[in-house]
Amino acid sequence: MSEGMIVCVAVVGHQNNPLYIQSFTKGDDSLKLHHIVHCSLDVVDERANNPKKSGLITNETFLGLLNPTENYKVYGYLTNTKVKFILVSTDLEVRDVDARVFFGRFHTAYIDAVSNPFHIPGKKITSRKFAERVSTMVKSFGLSSGG
Amino acid sequence: MEPDASIETISMIRVAVIPISDVTPLLFRDYAAMLLRHHTVSLNSISSFYTEHQKSPFAHQPWESGSLRFKFILGGSPPSPWEDFQSNRKILAVIGICHCPSAPDLRSVADQFTAACKTYSSSLVQRCFAFCPGDSQLEDESVKGSNLILFPPADRQTQEFHLQTMVQDIAASLLMEFEKWVLQAESGGTVFKTPLDSQASLSSEEVIKAKKRRLGRAQKTIGDYCLLAGSPVDANAHYSTSLELTRLTADFFWYAGAMEGSVCALLMDRMGQKDPVLEDEVKYRYNNVILHYRKSFIQDNAQRVSPLSFELEATLKLARFLCRRELANDVVELLTATADGATSLIDASDKLVVYVEIARLFGELGYHRKAAFFSRQVAQLYLQQDNKFAAISAMQVLAMTTKAYRVQSRASIGPSNDAGKTHADGGKVHHHSIVSLFESQWSTLQMVVLREILLSAVRAGDPLAAWSAAARLLRSYYPLITPAGQNGLFNALVNSAERLPLGTRCSDPALPFVRLHSFPLHSSQMDIVKRNPAREDWWAGAAPSGPFIYTPFSKGEPNNSNKQELTWVVGEPVQVLVELANPCGFEVMVESIYLSVHSGNLDAFPVSVSLPPNSSKVITLSGIPTKEGLVSVPGCIVHCFGVITEHFFKEVDSLLIGATQGLVLSDPFRSCGAAKLKHVHLPSITVVPPLPLLVSHIAGGDGSVMLYEGEIRDVWISLANAGTVPVEQAHISLSGKNQDSVVTVASETLRSALPLKPGAEVTIRVTLKAWQLSKTDSDAAASKGMPGSSVRQAKDGSSPLLLIHYAGPLTTPGEPETVSAPPPGRRLVIPLNICVLQGLSFVKARLLSMEIPARIGEACSTQAQLERGNTEQVNSSERQADRLVKIDPNRGSWGLRLLELELYNPTDVVFEASVSVDMENTNNQENLSDNISAEYGEPKTRIDRDYTARVLIPLENFKLPVLDGSFLGNSSQNNGTSGSRNNSFSEKNIKAELNASIKNLISKIKVRWQSGRNSSGELDIKDAIQAALQASVMDVLLPDPLTFGFRLAKTSSEDINVDSEVKSCASGDSIIAHEMTAMEVLVRNNTKEAIRINLSIACKDVAGENCMEGDKATVLWEGVLSGISMEVPPLEEVKHVFSLYFLIPGEYTMLAAAMIYDANEVLRARARSDALDEPIFCRGPPYHVRVSGTR
Repeated sequence: MSEGMIVCVAVVGHQNNPLYIQSFTKGDDSLKLHHIVHCSLDVVDERANNPKKSGLITNETFLGLLNPTENYKVYGYLTNTKVKFILVSTDLEVRDVDARVFFGRFHTAYIDAVSNPFHIPGKKITSRKFAERVSTMVKSFGLSSGG
Repeated sequence: MEPDASIETISMIRVAVIPISDVTPLLFRDYAAMLLRHHTVSLNSISSFYTEHQKSPFAHQPWESGSLRFKFILGGSPPSPWEDFQSNRKILAVIGICHCPSAPDLRSVADQFTAACKTYSSSLVQRCFAFCPGDSQLEDESVKGSNLILFPPADRQTQEFHLQTMVQDIAASLLMEFEKWVLQAESGGTVFKTPLDSQASLSSEEVIKAKKRRLGRAQKTIGDYCLLAGSPVDANAHYSTSLELTRLTADFFWYAGAMEGSVCALLMDRMGQKDPVLEDEVKYRYNNVILHYRKSFIQDNAQRVSPLSFELEATLKLARFLCRRELANDVVELLTATADGATSLIDASDKLVVYVEIARLFGELGYHRKAAFFSRQVAQLYLQQDNKFAAISAMQVLAMTTKAYRVQSRASIGPSNDAGKTHADGGKVHHHSIVSLFESQWSTLQMVVLREILLSAVRAGDPLAAWSAAARLLRSYYPLITPAGQNGLFNALVNSAERLPLGTRCSDPALPFVRLHSFPLHSSQMDIVKRNPAREDWWAGAAPSGPFIYTPFSKGEPNNSNKQELTWVVGEPVQVLVELANPCGFEVMVESIYLSVHSGNLDAFPVSVSLPPNSSKVITLSGIPTKEGLVSVPGCIVHCFGVITEHFFKEVDSLLIGATQGLVLSDPFRSCGAAKLKHVHLPSITVVPPLPLLVSHIAGGDGSVMLYEGEIRDVWISLANAGTVPVEQAHISLSGKNQDSVVTVASETLRSALPLKPGAEVTIRVTLKAWQLSKTDSDAAASKGMPGSSVRQAKDGSSPLLLIHYAGPLTTPGEPETVSAPPPGRRLVIPLNICVLQGLSFVKARLLSMEIPARIGEACSTQAQLERGNTEQVNSSERQADRLVKIDPNRGSWGLRLLELELYNPTDVVFEASVSVDMENTNNQENLSDNISAEYGEPKTRIDRDYTARVLIPLENFKLPVLDGSFLGNSSQNNGTSGSRNNSFSEKNIKAELNASIKNLISKIKVRWQSGRNSSGELDIKDAIQAALQASVMDVLLPDPLTFGFRLAKTSSEDINVDSEVKSCASGDSIIAHEMTAMEVLVRNNTKEAIRINLSIACKDVAGENCMEGDKATVLWEGVLSGISMEVPPLEEVKHVFSLYFLIPGEYTMLAAAMIYDANEVLRARARSDALDEPIFCRGPPYHVRVSGTR
């Protein structure tokens, strides 16, 4: 159970364009996960556009639980440049702290990836290193929360 | 489960609206629309139709504020099994709609209606509305008393009023029926059953249980009727009772139903006012409702029937009630729960309704992506049904999702989106399109949606929608589709097109991609120039002039260079280059493609083109402007895959921009190997009225004119007006390099031919003179070793251009003078393609100086001749050498200075060079005795190819008459005697004068050449001559201070003798040995001051021995021959006479020499002597004397 809790992570650009979307499931449900990520943008958009209402005045980047969809929980994270990080998890008892820590690391990895002078902003992230880093993070996510 | 369910649904009276007899669907919809407006009828308005037969059970009916609400079910619906549970599910009234003109027999209409009503057993009121009855029908008495109500023909307003009255009547009837029913229900023993209740025969226990429950259920139903009757207070009272009773009997299902009713009553009572307290109350009660519906779930009959749908319906009702942005969280939670629950719904149509409602509510909340997601679920459910109508529904639902997925058809975006923006924002790309580019990256989702649309459209039999979906799929996602998939789409396009009528248009373009390549500029033959009527040179200012690229003064002008402007002319074909790309794996046959012109003033010509797989092509689209005004060419109309589509350039542009930013999958043009192209802006194009059009033609072919360096040739250019408007103004000017090679242009000829009527032609002459090839050019040509290399040079743009600005009349005839700008003029550029070939090349020049001693005998004849008539032409019979070698009378000898030019002929033709000295402008009249425009008898020098030849130019005739100080300013300054300002000024003057005279001299010398029959020209050797002359210019120009001459003396006694001697002179025998020969020496002073000299005369024999002195003197003499002191007055001649006696016949040479005493500066300078006390010798030229023997 602890392994593979996170089924999908995604980076979505400021124009809601997917920059990186990776699912960590064995089955062929990437389309479904794409849909979940896509749908969760509704909520992110809403929170991003009404920061007052959703209590985002204090530069809080972590958006918390976006919405439970079917059997998944979707967490969001919004950077200052309106880049969104989305996490889809099957674990229904994810602690906010864990998600927060995960997003923090994810953000760092993203920054490193886009700092590559050969990366064109707005283009999909194709860095293999980034992918490796993310998958390591995803794996360790379950472990750290378990311990 | 029903669509559109809300909390208030319970209070709505369901009315079936059914067509009776033949009513076309259109008419039916029209009539129904009239009816639908009366969904709410206030109690107030029906009071006049209402008669209280007995005491109304609705004691608290709000007659003033309340109303009845109708829910019209068009076409009716089958009875619901849940009618007993919720009375609003019953069809309580039936309204038939009949269109009389199509149903003449009213009797049968009435029968049909009655028959139709039979299926609605629950209905309490039936009416049939018959519209537009004829006169006979109106008079038909037979239908009186039936339910048939005729609406006499009237205007719409009257009819609507009539209809309203009828609806009010129905409402009143219904109200009375409700009263009746309630009274009956309160007393009677009606049994209320739902499918949930066991269908099997009831056991005794259950019968008792059912009896107990009956009362609660009855109360609930009465409450329902109260709600339908618009009396919430009454309803609430009954619901309260029911709640109590059902709770006691654990009849949870009915409890929940009663609770729902109570909420509805509460809301009705509040009449739509919402406040947080009410919301909380509703939320609380409804959660209760949902809870109890869930409780009523019975495992036994779960397979058959389940209250789940009621639970979900209740959830949706609550969600709909709460559906506001502020409460989004609650609503999302409710909807998520519903969606989760929907998966366990048994009935597919229930599931469908749930998803539809979820999607709608998400949409209302602003969660478009979620709404789209659920719409897709709906569509999938529809597609599972596998029938045509379900497929149509699926297609329509999917079409709604396209917006959220950014794959919408262009038809649904609407044209208003970008109208007016195209001009405003210049180069900036449309915001909308960029955003859609960003979102277009969800390709996995988008492709799925489009594929589903395609599938549903095919199933629904909508070829156009299928075509459009396939087109969108192919155009946007071709890189992600395998070649097999691409072929599948290709087949889908073709198959759809087969089902479409010919010439069907679709708003979504398929392939190919079309982008603007370029607007070919007007050829230089047709340039259009703005006309400035205020100026004589009307073309000025149209093109940027002056040294500045950017001038602050031009800033305000509307035509900034940034925005390209084009002018097209009515009736003259125009061309636009577009590039097509087919990045797919199949061949695209474009049946026709032509410019799409929204302004309607261009006739575009279609072309057809075929694009092989993965290829791109640049094609030329043409058209003819038909009317003046602005033209906008936003794209192309393409007829491809059987459908006509419009391809906008702007869309492809933003696609390409997206490709560079990495937003779009791939650049279709690049993947086809097309060259990278700069973004082309759509220029603003203006169409102007017809203009004249000059067409030029150079006689002898438009190729370049091959000329040797310095060659002069005439070129004839014919200009014809090919336009439809006469040329009224024309002006010729030159431009480009080497303008001075155009010697003359016969612009007068052109001017005199104006106005040049259409079709008229004029020929003008242009005289060209080939320029010199520069050193590097000839070197390059030489190093290439190719004669053709100089041809290349002609294309470097070194040729001059002939510019002809011309224009038609200022105003078009027949039209009043307009304030607007006059029609523009045109510019015709005729490149005078001159190809200069290397001609005679100049090797070197040098000055030769030689003295040929004059013969005293001959000298006299020439002298005599010269003295007799200075202006006489030299006899042509004389030998050429004689003519060349002129005897200077002042010098008296055959002193000769020649400029020798060495010419080399590197070409492969033969040249003939001739020298001429043009004397016409000379002012040295005094000096130059004969003012000859000398050509020296055209002594042509033939120079063969690869040979060097020399040409001699005599320089004798340029001597100045007087030697004075003026020319020697330089040397006088060297002497240090002057330093004053005045002096230096004059020196400058002098120098200038000297230079001028040198130039004058040089310009007189012309070396002409001729090669073959028709090329001739002139060598440009001025610099060379000047260089050669520079050193010895003084020797050439300035005379010696003294000139000496010998001649036979003419004594008065020997006059006759002299005559004979003159004759003998001619014969050549002049002096005879052993005779005393009187001779005189002439000393002429060429300066302006008197010179004192010491003259001495010497005579030398052939061996050069002095033959007058010594032992072996062979010449005896008389008179003084040495140390003769004399003073020669300025510019005069002094004669000194002496006699010689030659002992031996032969050749002798006479020499005169003088030593000048007290030489002044001028003389010193001339002699180039520095020492003051040095004597200056002046030696005359030798004179030959031939002494013949005795006769």
